[in-house]
Amino acid sequence: MPATNSDRSQDRELRLTVNGEDRCLDVAPSTPLLYVLRNDLSLNGPKFGCGLGECGACMVLVDGRAARACVLPAGAVEGHSVTTLEGLADGDRLDPVQQAFIDEQGAQCGYCLNGMIMSVRALLNENPAPSREALVRALDHNLCRCGTHQEILAAACRAAGLDQEGDA
Amino acid sequence: MSRLPRSRDGDQPLAYGRVVRPPVYRLDARAFVCSQLLDVNRDGLDDDVTVVTDGNFVGVVAPTPEAARRATNRLRLRWSTPAGDQRGTPPAPASDRLQRGYEWPGRLGWGIEPDWVIADCNPQGAVRVDGPVADTDRLRRELACLLETDPTRIHLDGHGEARVGRQGSDDAAADAALLARAVGQPVAVRLEPEPYALDARALARARRLRVSGAADGGDFQVDDDLGYVSVPPLALWLTGRLTDGLLRDPDAAALQYTFVQESFLDEVAAALGEDPVALRLRHIKDPRGRQLLQSVASQAAWDRPAANDGRADLVRGRGVAYSHRPSESGDAGSGTRSAWIADVEVNTVTGGVRLSRLVAGQDAGADGPLGPLLDSTPLRAALEQKLLGMPDTAPPADEWGGDDDRHLPVKPAAMPPAPRRPAGPLAETGEVDLSPAVAVVANALYDATGVRFRSPPFSPARVRASLQARRDRGKRRWWWAAGLALTGLLATLWPWRASLAPISRPAANLYSAETIERGRLVAEAGDCAVCHTAEEGLTNVGGRPFETPFGTLYSTNLTPDPDTGIGNWSYAAFERAMREGISRDGRHLYPAFPYTDFAKLSDADMQALYAYLMAQPAVAAPAPDNDLRFPFNVRSMMAGWNTLFHRDRTFQPDPTRSPQWNRGAYLFEGAGHCGACHTPRNLFGAEKTGEARLAGTLVDGWEAPALTANSRAPVAWTEESLFQYLRTGRSDFHGVAGGPMAPVVAGLAELPETDVRAIAHYVATQMDAPRSATEAQQQQARKRLAASAEPVGLEAGQRVFDGACASCHADGAASSFTGAQQSLALNTNLHSERPDNVIQSILGGVHIQGVAAAGSMPAFSHSLSNRQVSDLVHYLRARFAPGETPWKDVGRTVAEIRREHNQQP
Repeated sequence: MPATNSDRSQDRELRLTVNGEDRCLDVAPSTPLLYVLRNDLSLNGPKFGCGLGECGACMVLVDGRAARACVLPAGAVEGHSVTTLEGLADGDRLDPVQQAFIDEQGAQCGYCLNGMIMSVRALLNENPAPSREALVRALDHNLCRCGTHQEILAAACRAAGLDQEGDA
Repeated sequence: MSRLPRSRDGDQPLAYGRVVRPPVYRLDARAFVCSQLLDVNRDGLDDDVTVVTDGNFVGVVAPTPEAARRATNRLRLRWSTPAGDQRGTPPAPASDRLQRGYEWPGRLGWGIEPDWVIADCNPQGAVRVDGPVADTDRLRRELACLLETDPTRIHLDGHGEARVGRQGSDDAAADAALLARAVGQPVAVRLEPEPYALDARALARARRLRVSGAADGGDFQVDDDLGYVSVPPLALWLTGRLTDGLLRDPDAAALQYTFVQESFLDEVAAALGEDPVALRLRHIKDPRGRQLLQSVASQAAWDRPAANDGRADLVRGRGVAYSHRPSESGDAGSGTRSAWIADVEVNTVTGGVRLSRLVAGQDAGADGPLGPLLDSTPLRAALEQKLLGMPDTAPPADEWGGDDDRHLPVKPAAMPPAPRRPAGPLAETGEVDLSPAVAVVANALYDATGVRFRSPPFSPARVRASLQARRDRGKRRWWWAAGLALTGLLATLWPWRASLAPISRPAANLYSAETIERGRLVAEAGDCAVCHTAEEGLTNVGGRPFETPFGTLYSTNLTPDPDTGIGNWSYAAFERAMREGISRDGRHLYPAFPYTDFAKLSDADMQALYAYLMAQPAVAAPAPDNDLRFPFNVRSMMAGWNTLFHRDRTFQPDPTRSPQWNRGAYLFEGAGHCGACHTPRNLFGAEKTGEARLAGTLVDGWEAPALTANSRAPVAWTEESLFQYLRTGRSDFHGVAGGPMAPVVAGLAELPETDVRAIAHYVATQMDAPRSATEAQQQQARKRLAASAEPVGLEAGQRVFDGACASCHADGAASSFTGAQQSLALNTNLHSERPDNVIQSILGGVHIQGVAAAGSMPAFSHSLSNRQVSDLVHYLRARFAPGETPWKDVGRTVAEIRREHNQQP
């Protein structure tokens, strides 16, 4: 059958590197990365929230940088390295950001936590010693509907090595 | 190809050279005609630029390629008009003898692809050249003469291959060497069409040979009006350092004489209707030579012509050539005899030539035994690549491009200790005498096509042009051209046109893969599938609606289905539809189908497109009926429209412009039909001309911006940013392609890079845009970025922006992979006179299918109300285009565009 106009390169297979593993998938390159991660690779760390890149629940890392997987065509990350929440820990040792969220109990319903943790990780990748203001700005477009902002911020500060008042 | 920038070892940085050729220079009738350099004015050049002059040779050396290019543009040179500027051909002696003229160009091409040639001269006089140059004794001698050193000091460390005939790489090598010696550091010169294709043309008529003989081909003699056998690099001619010895080359002489002699005998055979092998056997007196030719002919089954395999676009032919090179002693009984028989396969659409078989025999002399028949496969491959696969010196506008590699070269690490073994022409083919190589192909080409090529090269472009010229001669004779023109006009006016007989659907393998691939490129450049595919429909099955002021039209089925598609269309019917807008059954088509542009396609591209479409899978799907108001539903009235607005004429290149400009114009105006969207239309739906041409207009609810100097882009376009935008769908200074432009970018992604560059070059000249970003432009961008500020009184819009847009369109604490890469302050759409494209992008999002790295944006039509979109649009305009007046009627436009979105399935 000829390809449809909406996806002219449909018959090509998609090659992704996810959490250090090379994956070869029979998926249209225009499929949002989030769908590929959750539906084809069973990686349910990233969540579907708004589907419009507004809330941040779907956050993953691409080459260590924050990326909203619901608005990212999977074809755009070919040749890049994708890390999901599942790939953050080093074996049994949790990532310091994950550990900080446990230590501060920074969750209510937990739906936004994937995005919070990935955003803090992305910031720390670029700036290992951020200020409290930088943390607030980095989490500005990660929405939490339970009102757990204080606990989440406390966890972020702990991960960045800041105390509650934001001093190093 | 070399990639990394600059030098690897620190002491001597790599510099970049460019040469400036005289306004007039050519090799003509035993003389090198050239303007004389009178005066050099280097005012306005940067201090780190060196100007090198040597006789009439002029070049500049600068720290970067761009600085060198700038310097050549700023350098003011005064030249004299050359003396003795007359072209003379010796009058042919009048006689009843048969006469034919042949030519052997001094350069068979400028090169295969753009590349860097690097030269380095050390203070002790050793010279090293790196790049696409072949290691030949000839070039070593020539460079030694140019630099006044010994040939043993010249190291040719290139990756080029020796070819039949000479290439521009030798000229570039000499230029680089001369510049490197003058500045005392390694210099890289780019081998590219300008100036090396110009050089090739200046040296094109280096050798003209006239053969005359008795009517039966006997007693022939060759008059050589020029003494040049080998034409050394141009730098030697310009500096005046050429010595006569450099013009002699026995191998080249044998090749050229055999080409002339054997072509002539072939012409005699054709004129007499005699078998070419029999004619040669009549003339060869040497018994060993006769024996060799007979043996080769029987081995090649000369009397049984090659069978045709039924492809519509391939013709086959067979040719023979014989040569006898006397030994150095001059004894007639000794020397090397060669007899070759070649089969060629010529693609009549693309002009591509393949050597499908080669039987070559060689007899080395009276002392040795009769030479064996050579295993011809490696020789055939070598010849195919070296003789046939070369680009022309002046590529025609319908020549498909290749990949361009603009990376900077690597400086060679160090001088090599000793020169390598010198290589003769075609060294790797061993001790084979190649004298018959060119003649045998020319004769086989004649057998295949009936066209006599009296000079090499046999490039696809030349073969195609020759075949086209022969077809044209066949159908247009001047004495009834006037009558034809009148008939054509009457036919256009006549409202009822004949139906062309249906054919049974052509087999999918009727055309060769080469032709179909060319057709695929034409289809991609023409974006056929964009209009002929419905939303979520199958490719080219049609059914996409087009709202026009005259009613709704639907695109038709382009697949080769006999009942609902074009499966029963002959090529003649297809061509008539594409050029005249007449369907196979004689009905007029509406100019929403841009046959007004497609008429400019060359015959080769038109045939290739037909071949491609006919080779696709057939899908049965009738197109919906058009819904046009009276009187527009009366198709025959289009006859009048065509008389007024349509010119059925193929693209005519502008000889005063560069090949790149003409290539770009051909793609832009023809297959690309860019004006169909970017030029406003008059009351009758025809594209306006004059000032309104490419002035920008509204199409399908999107604004196609102006492609003229009146562009509203906040930062002026450059050729480089146009290329980046067309190639990747995104420009650093302007933003992302969206809407109907997105599939255009996806189509362009399938084209060779040089073709997209040519389009960018052509558009840049329409916009008066500079070549690459200037300081003024960077400043413009910085100013725009600084000017955007939080507006007052638009808090509702600001809230929408913060919630829906800012996660990608505002700077965060850390960089984001999904964040927008350009600030909205540089977005052309926000600076336009109308808000349509901004509203379209918000409601429908931005997606370029098939171009992975182009960036994408989700559609917000389901999450934002009309009121919210309208607040947002006002806010965006005020914040990111603070110098522009606020848009009016935004709310109404949002409602209209949303209605269109809701209507789409």
